[in-house]
Amino acid sequence: MTMLKELAAELLGMFVAERRLAITVLAIVAAAGSLVNLAGVDTLVGGAVLLFGCLILLIESVCRSARAGPS
Amino acid sequence: MMAWSTAAPAVSAAFLASLVEVVEAFTIVLAVATLRGWRPAALGTGAGLALLAAIVLLLGPVLGQVPISSLQLAIGLLLLLFGLGWLRKASLRAAGIIPLHDEEAIFAAETAALSDQARRQQRNLGWAAGLTAFKAVLLEGLEVVFIVIAVGAGRGLMVPAGLGALAACAVVLAAGAIIHRPLSRVPENALKFGVGVMLSAFGVFWTGEGLGIAWPGQDLALLLFVALFLGAGLVASTLARRRAVEFAL
Repeated sequence: MTMLKELAAELLGMFVAERRLAITVLAIVAAAGSLVNLAGVDTLVGGAVLLFGCLILLIESVCRSARAGPS
Repeated sequence: MMAWSTAAPAVSAAFLASLVEVVEAFTIVLAVATLRGWRPAALGTGAGLALLAAIVLLLGPVLGQVPISSLQLAIGLLLLLFGLGWLRKASLRAAGIIPLHDEEAIFAAETAALSDQARRQQRNLGWAAGLTAFKAVLLEGLEVVFIVIAVGAGRGLMVPAGLGALAACAVVLAAGAIIHRPLSRVPENALKFGVGVMLSAFGVFWTGEGLGIAWPGQDLALLLFVALFLGAGLVASTLARRRAVEFAL
């Protein structure tokens, strides 16, 4: 049972290294998907939202962790 | 005919990511073998590899049934979560915000934990040692399986990606057999940084394709994404290092 819990925690940890990062990634993908498939804008606009959203999120997440100080 | 612009990043991502994971598993298996001999280490490793093979054999046919756009979206999303997580952590390690992964320290901690178990429950130690090796191989191996599936499934590159992962296993086993010590000189953070860059680039590419985005240049767009994520990771690391210096003052 302990091992199954460890396995589940490891699997979750693989994809959710930081909760805020994970939630924001989902939000960016949802926004890009809505733009392309619901709003009907050019797919390149959706692509730009997806790509630059993830790039900005990465920088913001690293800087936020740095502001929080060494762990 | 596979495009080199897709195959090369897929194979190298699978190779480098597997190298990191296999080094981590090897450290623990070596600790088990050093303390309790090669038998429980080999049995635990074999059982872990057998379970991983069963998972791959079960997943393979299931993935074949999923429509390609849904598969690309699901895998792309998981790759984004996984890759950005690795890249974030590697950037923080490069900036000195969180400590580097230390294989010597992990080896010492694992050996101490097994020695402690030996004192408390002498009879079951062989079993505990085998279980430790099994867990290490299974947990690290799951990440390898995911990466191989993730970088390979979207474009029918499972076999090249799998061969990349197998090559990494061979390299680590050969190095381990020669030096008989934890592979502490592997530049693990640089590898994780590089793999995080590639997985994030693949993540954006597959997610976009799954959403119906037609990337300009098709597969060549991957190379641009790799360059952009590399730049963003380096910028993030530099900014974080400055923050750390300000924090220390």
